[in-house]
Amino acid sequence: MPVEIPKDKWTGKVREVSFGATAADGGTRSKSIVVGGDTTLPYMQFEAPTPHTPVIAVEIKSRRPEDWSTLLEETWGDAMNDPASWAKAAEAAGADALVLWLTLADTPEDAVKATKAVLAASALPLMVFGPGQVEKDNELLVAVSEAAKGEKLVLGICEDKNYRTIVATAMANGHLVSARTPMDVNLAKQLNILITDMGLPANRIIMDPTTGALGYGIEYGYSVMERLRLASLQGDGMTQFPMMVTVGFEAWKAKESKVGTGVPEAWGDWKARAIHWETLTTTALLESGASIVVLRHPESMKRIRAAINELMAA
Amino acid sequence: MNHTITFTTSDGKTVTASALTGTLVSDAAQQAGIEITQPCGGQGRCGRCAIQITGGNVRRRSTLRLSQEAVEQGYALACQSVIEGDASILVPEQEKIERNLTTDRVAAEVSVPSGYDINWSQTVRRVNVRMNEPSMDDQTDDWARLQTALRVQHKLETVEASISLLRRLGQVLRDGNWEVNVIYELKNLDNHSAAHIIDVRPSICDEDEPIYAAAIDIGTTTVSLWLVDLVTGQVKAQVAEYNDQIVRGEDVISRIIYASKHGGSDDLQHRVVGTINKLGETACKRLKTRPDQIVKAIIAGNSTMIHLLLGIPAASIRLAPFITAVNHPPLMAAREMGLHFCPDAVVDCLPGVASYVGADITAGVLSNGMDDTDEITLFIDVGTNGEIVLGNRDWLMTCACSAGPAFEGAGVKDGMRATTGAIEEVWINGDTYEPSIRVIGGSKPRGVCGSGLISLIAEMFLTGILDKAGNVNLSLPTKRVRATDQGGEYVIAWADETSHGHDIAITRVDVDNLLRAKAAIYAGFTILAEQVGMTLADVETMVIGGSFGKYVNVEKAMQIGLLPDMPWDKFKFLGNTSVKGAYFALVDTRQRERISEIASRMTYLELSADNTFYDAFTSALFLPHTDMDKFPTVAEALLSKEKR
Repeated sequence: MPVEIPKDKWTGKVREVSFGATAADGGTRSKSIVVGGDTTLPYMQFEAPTPHTPVIAVEIKSRRPEDWSTLLEETWGDAMNDPASWAKAAEAAGADALVLWLTLADTPEDAVKATKAVLAASALPLMVFGPGQVEKDNELLVAVSEAAKGEKLVLGICEDKNYRTIVATAMANGHLVSARTPMDVNLAKQLNILITDMGLPANRIIMDPTTGALGYGIEYGYSVMERLRLASLQGDGMTQFPMMVTVGFEAWKAKESKVGTGVPEAWGDWKARAIHWETLTTTALLESGASIVVLRHPESMKRIRAAINELMAA
Repeated sequence: MNHTITFTTSDGKTVTASALTGTLVSDAAQQAGIEITQPCGGQGRCGRCAIQITGGNVRRRSTLRLSQEAVEQGYALACQSVIEGDASILVPEQEKIERNLTTDRVAAEVSVPSGYDINWSQTVRRVNVRMNEPSMDDQTDDWARLQTALRVQHKLETVEASISLLRRLGQVLRDGNWEVNVIYELKNLDNHSAAHIIDVRPSICDEDEPIYAAAIDIGTTTVSLWLVDLVTGQVKAQVAEYNDQIVRGEDVISRIIYASKHGGSDDLQHRVVGTINKLGETACKRLKTRPDQIVKAIIAGNSTMIHLLLGIPAASIRLAPFITAVNHPPLMAAREMGLHFCPDAVVDCLPGVASYVGADITAGVLSNGMDDTDEITLFIDVGTNGEIVLGNRDWLMTCACSAGPAFEGAGVKDGMRATTGAIEEVWINGDTYEPSIRVIGGSKPRGVCGSGLISLIAEMFLTGILDKAGNVNLSLPTKRVRATDQGGEYVIAWADETSHGHDIAITRVDVDNLLRAKAAIYAGFTILAEQVGMTLADVETMVIGGSFGKYVNVEKAMQIGLLPDMPWDKFKFLGNTSVKGAYFALVDTRQRERISEIASRMTYLELSADNTFYDAFTSALFLPHTDMDKFPTVAEALLSKEKR
């Protein structure tokens, strides 16, 4: 007897958002990336096709980071010394997009220089994030935003206590913003309202609901993302944004990936474990609706690429 | 070891007291008869009991609320400083508690229940009794003589009296020359032959001479007393006074903490009984009568106030799982409680439902009549706690949200109670961002009270000074918005316009506190409605009790999302519903029974036991609300502002 699989029909749809401007749009990128547009839960291909393949972005820093795992240093090597060569290496490793993370030591001139170097070194669509301190973020991002006018960057990170300056400069220079909230459906929705209230078109917002790595609160992050997607499918306009998650940042903070010595032997090989940590965290979050995942290790990127291909084919 | 402590008060008076090592300065001052206000109940949280050490030394256990500079100048917190040697202490002028208690305005609002008749509605009765004088031939004792006369003349088969009444009976009978009037209370309305005697007075009296009784509401802040004539059912006087317990803590939690300290419970009991006695005296003076003529009292109040009045430990109210000792207190005699009413006056404390839904709310339900209508009614009494009742004649649900004291001006930098000098209403010009203010008493402002804060937040929101998350927009072209270490702030009054010479400003932190308070209340509404499968749109009448409703601008309360967005004609403001409920119970014994029914019918929902509360709370933690569809008129107001 044939089994009929019941299908859900939803009234809402996640907005389609695109970033990275090609020459045709007045930028210098090799392609634009489109995310969102989903009309059902992730990868329920029998209900509706997943309209856009999830994006793998790679995190690079404006200066060589001193607190990164030696496992990451081993794999990126001297490319980490300057953002341009790092960007090239990331593209070669198979990234779809780049995230340039500025540091507290940067001046606006440094930030602009780093951004321009990355734009010149790689034609991939780019996101630029501040170091996460209000005044510094605003100072650096305004400079970057003006210098890269027309490139359709994603500027970040907007938070509920600091979003005005970033949104204003994104509006003025044709960029997008990422909106981050600490794992709460209402807070995510509130920040989206605040940003659209300023007049930034809704199709220029990507939301970052924050997540925890495997073993560090991933189930909470997963559930918030799932609820955000459900709310958007039910027609709640202020949740209908594609989601990005900074998985590399979270996963490489976990003790399991950070520490190679003095841990129980049963934990096994350090390198294998660390890459598993980033990969497993990422696959879970893809299933909860992440459209953009920001990773650190090239091996994780490969594995996630394979996982995405399987999910899209199913 | 004993030390000599010299207190000097702000009026130059000096008192010397002796205190043992380890005595708190606040206790030593109290023993010396010097009043030091302790709004937080002596927890060292509020910093308002600061005193100055001018000689000798004390050990400061905590100086959390004092600046480094103040400590260097010798300031110390009286409740946190321990005597270790002789000391000279300067006690600064204590905050005066003033407010115009507008009781006469409320008086107009009460009318006697239609069809009131003492013989039909009341268990309290009065009769004249004439007895034969005893003689050598008639050796009946005084008490039996009165009992016989009551049986023969008034068909009272069984009467009881207390020992205290019997002690004075003989004198009264003789003073009245064997003609007396007897006030008694029937055991119940259906049995007219059993009673207990409240008072015997040495004269015959006219039928329409008043019989006085009192309806009382003990609020955490204010105690109200209505003096009622049971013959006509009319309210003859209404008086109100600050609860004298305030000096031992401004909110119920501080009072409970204070009560659990040594002697604290007795102190608080004396203070509230003293407040009631004072009120009784004031009301009686107005009617040229005496408090000992009051033969009955019905008392409403929140559960903590009732516990403290009765001297019942209240500690369990504060701690999870938040259980009261008694929800239905027994009847008491005035003399047992130290009330200066007629010694055998019956004092009836109304029943409550739970720790944070007390007799003030059951009385409130009675007075707004929501238990007797088909209309879905939402009743809220906003004080330090927002108590909410939802329902109609078929069902009643209730919960309490700990909104905190923000709407009473506490926890806000320039917040204050609604007394002289408080900004109570604010309007902000949308082009210049300049405010216009109204100040209680018309003088220079000193701070902002609850209604002022609500109005201020609404105006700041509508003029774009605040965004929906409560952030101050620092890019506006006005020097009234400025950055501080703790986020932006808005200056309502410049130093030279205020009575204390400092700027009055509302900070980002203040706004957060107020948003949390309003979100707690609104979330309470939402959860209560959700529990019964409704939405707030199903509510047909919204009843607002407490003085809150009288002073708050509803439109502005709606704009900040404190009250649900509904048509104005759905709102009813009833003022102090608690004392009104006590009054109805006092004049009509059946209504008193109805309050017991209400108390047992109300289903209490403990919000902290419900995991959906947090979601509703964060959702309401926005201006006016994350879900704008719930506030259509506010959305419209914002839209028309944008167009302009």
